[in-house]
Amino acid sequence: MLSRVAANLYWLSRYVERSDGILRMLKIYYASSQDSISEFSWKPIIKIYTGLEKQYIQHMEFNSREVLLYLIAGKENANSVTNIITLARENARSVQDHITKDLWQCLNEYYHLVKDPRLIAALRKDDPISALDILIKQVMLYYGTAEVTMERGEGRSFMNIGKYLERSIQSIDILDSKFGTIDHNPDLLTDTTYWKHLLLSIGGHELYLKTYRQGFEAENVLEMVVLNNDFPRSVVYSVGHINRYFERLKNENTISNVKELSFLIGRLHSRIRYSTIETIQEEGLHNFLFSIKKDLYSIGNSVNEQYFGYS
Amino acid sequence: MSLNFLDNYIPEQNTWDEMFSQEHQVRSPYKKIIEYLSNESAEDLHKKEELAKRLFMSQGITFTVYNSGEGIEKIFPFDIIPRILTAEDWTFIEKGIKQRLKALNIFLKDIYSNMFIVKDGIIPIDMIYSCPHYLREMYNVSVPHDIYVHIAGIDLIRDYDGTFYVLEDNLRTPSGVSYMLENREITKRLFPDLLPQCKVRSVTEYPGILYKNLMALSPRQISNPTIVLLSPGIYNSAYFEHTTLARLMGVELVEGKDLLVDNHKVYMKTTNGRQQVDVIYRRVDDEYLDPLVFNPESVLGVAGLMSAYRKGNVVIVNAVGNGVADDKAIYSYVPQMIKYYLNEEPLLKNVPTYQLDNPEHLNHVFGNINQMVIKKTNGSGGYGMLMGYNATDIEVENYKAEVLKDPRQFIAQPTISLSAAPCYLNKQLHPRRIDLRPFALCGPNGIEIVPGGLTRVALKEGSLVVNSSQGGGSKDTWVLAS
Repeated sequence: MLSRVAANLYWLSRYVERSDGILRMLKIYYASSQDSISEFSWKPIIKIYTGLEKQYIQHMEFNSREVLLYLIAGKENANSVTNIITLARENARSVQDHITKDLWQCLNEYYHLVKDPRLIAALRKDDPISALDILIKQVMLYYGTAEVTMERGEGRSFMNIGKYLERSIQSIDILDSKFGTIDHNPDLLTDTTYWKHLLLSIGGHELYLKTYRQGFEAENVLEMVVLNNDFPRSVVYSVGHINRYFERLKNENTISNVKELSFLIGRLHSRIRYSTIETIQEEGLHNFLFSIKKDLYSIGNSVNEQYFGYS
Repeated sequence: MSLNFLDNYIPEQNTWDEMFSQEHQVRSPYKKIIEYLSNESAEDLHKKEELAKRLFMSQGITFTVYNSGEGIEKIFPFDIIPRILTAEDWTFIEKGIKQRLKALNIFLKDIYSNMFIVKDGIIPIDMIYSCPHYLREMYNVSVPHDIYVHIAGIDLIRDYDGTFYVLEDNLRTPSGVSYMLENREITKRLFPDLLPQCKVRSVTEYPGILYKNLMALSPRQISNPTIVLLSPGIYNSAYFEHTTLARLMGVELVEGKDLLVDNHKVYMKTTNGRQQVDVIYRRVDDEYLDPLVFNPESVLGVAGLMSAYRKGNVVIVNAVGNGVADDKAIYSYVPQMIKYYLNEEPLLKNVPTYQLDNPEHLNHVFGNINQMVIKKTNGSGGYGMLMGYNATDIEVENYKAEVLKDPRQFIAQPTISLSAAPCYLNKQLHPRRIDLRPFALCGPNGIEIVPGGLTRVALKEGSLVVNSSQGGGSKDTWVLAS
């Protein structure tokens, strides 16, 4: 497979996964803003998903509609859903002979949906949740189509490595930002709606309720999002899948020099698997998350060097 | 649609009508389809037109127009009524194109080596050296089987009496073949069973023949040489064609950045390391092929490609430097080339052409400018032309000033009226002007032309410009079996 084709598939997948993360997050944040009695700040979200400077964040952090529009359709926001789906589509366009026609058409529809002026109008003045739901459904359709139609080969492995790398980075960012806020406001530690929204935003609420019977506690939330192997958005699950698809690539590939990448992935996976809540707390949550994120970035760079030929 | 729909069809004056003879009789190749159409209601035809549009859109047979940073998907307008050629017409065209292409290939070989044609005084040397597409870099480069033009899209038109003329020889990177293939697929859906009833010859062989030829060119004698299609990328308006051809031939679609040259060999970068490339079917112009030799700003090409090519380690299709043979000023010498190289009389006629760097010609052209079409010798896409018959005085004056700056870069031809064929527009048939681009493939075993081609049509009433960039569309082209 051409390196460029592999890179396009990988980025296509990362962008779609990122858009999914953004949309789900916005939906839950918006819902919780409706529950809030005090002024609701979007600051952590804006910080994770945009490169905006402080003064601009301050300018919009309390204005839900403006934040939604900026994060979904903001032309000047490089990370807006519109912009990243445009990029995803361009990546897909140049590898049309490597993805199925169904998948291409699905992504094409997603692109046309997010550019639809009616959707933007709905975000501006109707119920934003309905608009977000339409988009989220399209992403689910995309994942279903990919699962059902894509050939089980090299291409799919690159797509899945991209997807799970993006997902683990997102989960870490969300945790870091949520727990980071606590440092300034320890009261939140016992605020159950705070944790509930975090879980809702990454779709782990129901699993949490089944797993932990004693209500929302920071420790349990942390355990679930980092260490629960059954939770498809947990860090350990995502890293496990990076490992799995990397192993498949390794078997199909005769290139010899994947030792470094193999080492990086294996080490990271083990490190998370053999962590417990206690060891994480000993190390300090922020330090732990920071070092995991650093390792994920090195894996990304190594994939670039090894397979795509960029360095 | 009842039979009287033909009554509203008014053939244009002094124009060859493909469907109607002078006596207002339906010509024999059109009889079957007219019979078929007369059994359909206007509503049915309208539905067919909608179906055609839907098929083009959903299959992504579109090109993107970039406007204020946002891409808009458009379909290349398609007219549902096929253009039909008789078996005799086709036999003649086929012979004529083969003859012409044979001579042009020898000309390219000659002009990049011995230059006999110049030494024998057939073509003045100035004509060659003043052509921007004559590339000294190609001098004495040997190309496999002496084939320079592997794929030609020679444009033909018909004058008022039905005579075929060659309008231009496209010998560099002719495009449109995917439309020949897709238009046929769509027509199969629009008119079920009609194609076999009319005994229309198939065009599906094209990708197979091209692939076979590309395989035969491989410099390495191995069982599975690497063949790639080099595209400028997704922003190119013909990108759809590139993906279609790559898919139909099962070759890798690459961009310049996917290739590299090491020790005069070309490799593509794969996830499995480097893989040597043997044959490049490029859809990138000469100028952008190699930043070390041609345009240094180019990011579409591959640094070092020309050195690998000159060493014979890779074959580039079409050969580099072909532009000298389809230059619009050289064009007027093609009949002489045929006589000189083949000792034959040209079968296909040339449109009379005036060289504007010849003062006599220049005077004649400027004196009769309303009957002339003036073109740039290296222009394409219907841009930069002056159509004397409908230009304003100011346009004429401006154009004249432009010509006088560098007359070698311009030629003039008398306006040829182009034949007309029926088009389904606004729920009725109307005559519109058409041309024809058959695609000829030249391989080690000779020249093959699939029976068909791209018929382009000027959809605007009275227009003579068929280019898609200027409001043109296309039709399926039927060649009937004898």
